[in-house]
Amino acid sequence: MQKGYAAIIVLFVVAVATVVICTGIGPTGIIGPGISGSDTASLVLFDVRLPRVIAAMLVGAGLAAAGVVMQGLFRNSMADPYLLGTSSGGALGAALAIVCLGGAFHGLLAFIGCLAASFIVYGLAQNAGRVQVEHLLLTGIAVSMFFAAILSAVMYSSGQNLHQILFWLLGGFWNISWSDVTLGLVILPAAFCLLLFSRELNIFSMGEDDATHLGVNTERLKIVLLGISSLITGIAVAIAGCIGFVGLITPHVVRLVVGPDHRFLLPAAMLAGGILLALSDTVARTVGNEMPVGIVTAFLGAPFFIWLLKRRYAA
Amino acid sequence: MIELAGLDVNYGAQKVLDTITLEAKKGVFVGIIGPNGSGKTTLLKAISRVITPSGGIIRLDGLPVADLSSREFARSVAVVPQDTHAGFDFTVRDVVLMGRYPHLNRFSRETEADLAACDRAMALTGITHLSGRSINAISGGELQRTIIARALAQEPRHLLLDEATSHLDISHQVDILTTIKQLSTEIAVIGVFHDLNLAAYFCDEIIVLKNGKIEAAGTPAVVITPKTLHDVFDIDASVSVHPVTGKPLVVLLPQSQEIARTNHRVHVISGGGTGAEIIRVLHRAGCRVTTGVLAMNDTDYAAATELGIACITEPPFSPITERSTSALAAQIREADVVVLTAAPVGAGNLDNLRILAEADDTPVLFLSDDGRAEVPDYTNGKAGAFLDSMKGSGRLTVVSGHELVNRCTGGNYK
Repeated sequence: MQKGYAAIIVLFVVAVATVVICTGIGPTGIIGPGISGSDTASLVLFDVRLPRVIAAMLVGAGLAAAGVVMQGLFRNSMADPYLLGTSSGGALGAALAIVCLGGAFHGLLAFIGCLAASFIVYGLAQNAGRVQVEHLLLTGIAVSMFFAAILSAVMYSSGQNLHQILFWLLGGFWNISWSDVTLGLVILPAAFCLLLFSRELNIFSMGEDDATHLGVNTERLKIVLLGISSLITGIAVAIAGCIGFVGLITPHVVRLVVGPDHRFLLPAAMLAGGILLALSDTVARTVGNEMPVGIVTAFLGAPFFIWLLKRRYAA
Repeated sequence: MIELAGLDVNYGAQKVLDTITLEAKKGVFVGIIGPNGSGKTTLLKAISRVITPSGGIIRLDGLPVADLSSREFARSVAVVPQDTHAGFDFTVRDVVLMGRYPHLNRFSRETEADLAACDRAMALTGITHLSGRSINAISGGELQRTIIARALAQEPRHLLLDEATSHLDISHQVDILTTIKQLSTEIAVIGVFHDLNLAAYFCDEIIVLKNGKIEAAGTPAVVITPKTLHDVFDIDASVSVHPVTGKPLVVLLPQSQEIARTNHRVHVISGGGTGAEIIRVLHRAGCRVTTGVLAMNDTDYAAATELGIACITEPPFSPITERSTSALAAQIREADVVVLTAAPVGAGNLDNLRILAEADDTPVLFLSDDGRAEVPDYTNGKAGAFLDSMKGSGRLTVVSGHELVNRCTGGNYK
């Protein structure tokens, strides 16, 4: 428990430092409030970089939170926020907006696509008012494939728009404004709701029957947690597209450090996810020459994850 | 109190439980036994609301369980399932503390009382020393004790055990069941058992399930009989009263090899349990077995009556009467062979040997594993004298159990 509090405090300090440092770094050089007072500099700092860094923090935190919940509900450390078809649903929504509406409302349509996919999967996996997690998992895979097929068809016939769709699929923070940050802030109260259910999540990881025996209303828990994490994932996808790996790897790594208790795991993973994504985005927009941040997270994340797995299974 | 009235459970079109009606009161330990697939686990799952019954009603202290909230239910009923698959690396204490969940408010933290309940439960199940260990790093038996501790930490009024001690070694099984038995004065316990002797020893009442129906119910002494065990489990077992516990004691009998049915008449003179097994084996081998003279409180008498074998009897602690000795003489005359066991001989049953010695043409097989024809003799050598006379005349042959059966079924007595 002490370890949990300590980790959260350390991560919080690191997160604040990350915001300050990442805002200071950019293609136009290192600028800080004290270095330059010019209008351009303050514009770059406060209207371009700061919202972008904060948005990356929020999206990273949201994806990590959704990842923690998915891994807890599915009792599987390979689960990620996109398990219920949210990524392919969101991608399809955005692609349709790009092709049919010239890119207008693509965030809104992505959000709608995410939630629609979750609802469809949950609805299909329902049996006499009950949902088994295995059924949910497999239905999620099937619905994802179905949406991916439609998405491929849309991309195939999208002509010039293909490039734009591809960019969106990889995810990034190119045109972030303060309004995106406002939307992203919704993630915080939503994640707080998840935190209120962390004791139930702990118990649920012992198995659904055990959770029932201990007094957890498991059907309600699944609806609430899947609903909130789909909402969070939908917001994240609407802001930055389908950024992979953050939601899978952060909960996993943080669990190794703070342990499985969701009361600590959830906030710690959110801070770590935010830090990871803000740093990755900084790499993407400086060293990476504005490449999609999804490339950076996967490029750095995958080898790290392989190393982690090696170590774990060797022990 | 848990009451079930006309409970039906279907899995699809298949009826798994069929109009089950039972009652478990505070202070009563109810055991459920039955073969695999008889619906034992399903019954517990229905009571614990993991599956929804298709008919009938379950009441907890008079209230239909469907009316209770999840937490209310878990404050009243705790379950120890057959298997637990630990997901993440929680510590043993974390897992036991989960038992306090139904007592906690969403915004509250564990109070001193919660922690105390958790410590008590861990002490009762003997896992206090494992407190900080990960549940993925302890043995199966330790995990099971952790789960039992978690159930006790719930401080329930009803406890459901699904083969809760199946992963434990015999000493922990007895420890845990003794603890639960002590707790059962305050709470109602329903437990599924595989081990019939544990069930007989610990349960006040036993319910036998077969194909989703209650086949028998009542005290262990009433329910655990060779006939029920044969009907339900398709096993041959002997059931005796354990001399120390006074509870039924089940001993499985080896499945009989298919021996050609014989019509040989065998009279067995035994006593004090020395003949019970050979009586059963000979009976199953197809011999026409008679026994006696036996006292009516003798274990061999119980074995004989169980099998429906004719037995010349006397009331307990009574001398053998004139009527019995003549009956015995008649049985010995009609028998092809007499089997004699090393039963203790005293004044009360010395007549058995006397009559046998007097009937001088029926061969005698003496059952002994060490090759000697001796009995514990409390007659100042009179019993020994009868034995010696039979040995001297060549009537008596000493044989082992296996050989005895072969001889009796083969008609080779000398």
